Amino acid sequence: MKDLIRTFATAAAIAAMGVGAAFAQDKPKVAFVPQIVGIPYFNAMEAGGKKAAADLGVDFIYSGPVDGNPVDQLQIVQNLIDQGVNALAVSVLDASAIAPVVEAAKAKGTKLFTSDSDAPDSGRLVYVAQATDEGLGNAIIDELVKRVGEDAKVGIVSGEATASNLNAWIGFMQKRAAAKYPKLKLLDPQYAGSTAQRAAQVSSDLMAANPDLKGIIAVASSTCPGVAQAIETAGKIGQITATGYCSPNTARAYLKSGAFGFTVLWDPAQLGYLTVWAGKQLIDGKPFEASNTIPGMTSPATYDATTGILLLGPPAIFTAENVDKYDF
Amino acid sequence: MIKVLPRGAVPENRELLLLGACVLAIVLFAVSSPFFATADNAVTILRNSVELLLISLGMSLLLAMGGVDVSIGTVMGLAAFVIGRLLIATVDPVLAAIAGILAGAALGMVTGAVVVFGRIPAIVATLGLLGVYKAAIYLALGGAWLSGLPPTLTAMLQVRLVGVPIAVIVIALSYGAIWLAMRRTPFGLHLLAVGNSEEKARLQGVNTKLIQFSTFVISGTLAGVAAVFYIGTYRNVEMTIGSTLALDAIAAVVLGGTSILGGKCSLLGTVLGVLLLRILQNGLLLIGVPSLWQTVVTGALLIGVLSIEGLSGRLQLKFAGATQ
Repeated sequence: MKDLIRTFATAAAIAAMGVGAAFAQDKPKVAFVPQIVGIPYFNAMEAGGKKAAADLGVDFIYSGPVDGNPVDQLQIVQNLIDQGVNALAVSVLDASAIAPVVEAAKAKGTKLFTSDSDAPDSGRLVYVAQATDEGLGNAIIDELVKRVGEDAKVGIVSGEATASNLNAWIGFMQKRAAAKYPKLKLLDPQYAGSTAQRAAQVSSDLMAANPDLKGIIAVASSTCPGVAQAIETAGKIGQITATGYCSPNTARAYLKSGAFGFTVLWDPAQLGYLTVWAGKQLIDGKPFEASNTIPGMTSPATYDATTGILLLGPPAIFTAENVDKYDF
Repeated sequence: MIKVLPRGAVPENRELLLLGACVLAIVLFAVSSPFFATADNAVTILRNSVELLLISLGMSLLLAMGGVDVSIGTVMGLAAFVIGRLLIATVDPVLAAIAGILAGAALGMVTGAVVVFGRIPAIVATLGLLGVYKAAIYLALGGAWLSGLPPTLTAMLQVRLVGVPIAVIVIALSYGAIWLAMRRTPFGLHLLAVGNSEEKARLQGVNTKLIQFSTFVISGTLAGVAAVFYIGTYRNVEMTIGSTLALDAIAAVVLGGTSILGGKCSLLGTVLGVLLLRILQNGLLLIGVPSLWQTVVTGALLIGVLSIEGLSGRLQLKFAGATQ
């Protein structure tokens, strides 16, 4: 009897393995090429992508350049196309150089699309976007007003004056403030370059120049530690609420010390999940709806057919209470 | 009245000029902003000057020797990384600080060895090393910053000795030691001789390689000390750490009257140069000038001072020719 059971079990196991192997053969392959491997942000996207792959029954391939080199990235994209992946998402490093591989993907039947960083005129099928500039600008102003009130003076510390994304966010902050909170006084942005030291210097100068300052917005993530440190050093925790577009790992200590009230960004794990989901949709030939409710995602993803942008949803707000749930 | 400066002498006019510029800037800012001439703001300016002062003292020696180190900010960054990692591992802050200073000295040795024994011009060698050190910081951090480091070192640096902040004492000691070495030991003369002409200095029996190597080590060590204060103040190691320091330091040192071509050194001028830069950066923001313009002002100042120098140098030569 025992032997019989063992035989059956073995047979079942072999059968299962055979079926599994057959499945693996048939599973569509979705690849994601980040801008660089080995950094927490893209690690989180990879984790989200893996989870989606398990949920949706696809194979997930994650491969990217080790040093953020656009030429290396194109090489990797080309290799993946040659390998015959079914769908391929790229967080584009050089938008002007991607057109040839888009052509190559078309010729081979690979569904090539962009995620996290776009190349709008390249002929990509869809862009999976983490957030809109407007959404990010509005979220930070709305959340800040909740905490410091409308009748407040707020400083802005940005990074490089040439960074177009940072300038776009600042533009939407100013628009939001003018449209919704006329009493809110946003000071002219100060540019601190990309070091924590300059950001701290600029912030301490801002606080000296404006003793009635209620808030500081750190626009570039590189300015977050400097802004927070300046507030801590000046002993103005509680008097000034800082915020910014800072990752949870960068802001964790400052959210807990109270120098930062909250930070605004998106969850890269959810972005990775949405990326793989979008790849599966493309492979299956299913269209995107205007609003897509996806199991495994916290909010529905909206799709704009004219721009071809699939949007993750509203930005995420990180606070002292929820920050420990994230690792990027 | 022609004042001919002996080779290697310190141009005292420059120091007076800078002092005058500092005083003028302070008066102008104090009049235009009620928040400038306050004790709090003075402390802010000084606190924001500590790292730049230490790096600039080393840079003064390097420029006077006919060298330069554009990678010095990343040297500070790597030393800061060492300190940061040790603090996270709850190592005693004194030991972490010492390790950071040693790391700075070791990197100074590396830079010195590449320049001196590789026989590569300092600007080229340190530009190459800048790339290497940047990548090293990047790889060490693995894409994640060290943020919100434990405040143990910060607490240690808040100690005052007879009412004087420890940063002031460390800067005074560094300044004093370098001043003594430059003025009271053969090291100073030899360094300026190398700066004037390496070939002549060598023919006169100066161990030029030793002088060059040790100057890079001194500069690296000072960068290590700067890293201690950087971590104490900012408790953060970011990917771009120290990236503006080398150029700021060169600007301050040249403003201070140390020759970018070597052979001339003014430590007091360097200190005044750093203070003038920081006063301008602080004051311009306080009177409402966007920080973008700060770089324009400092750049214009640098060009202005150097062209005045060039012009007066030519005038002096003209006069000298006429009176002969």
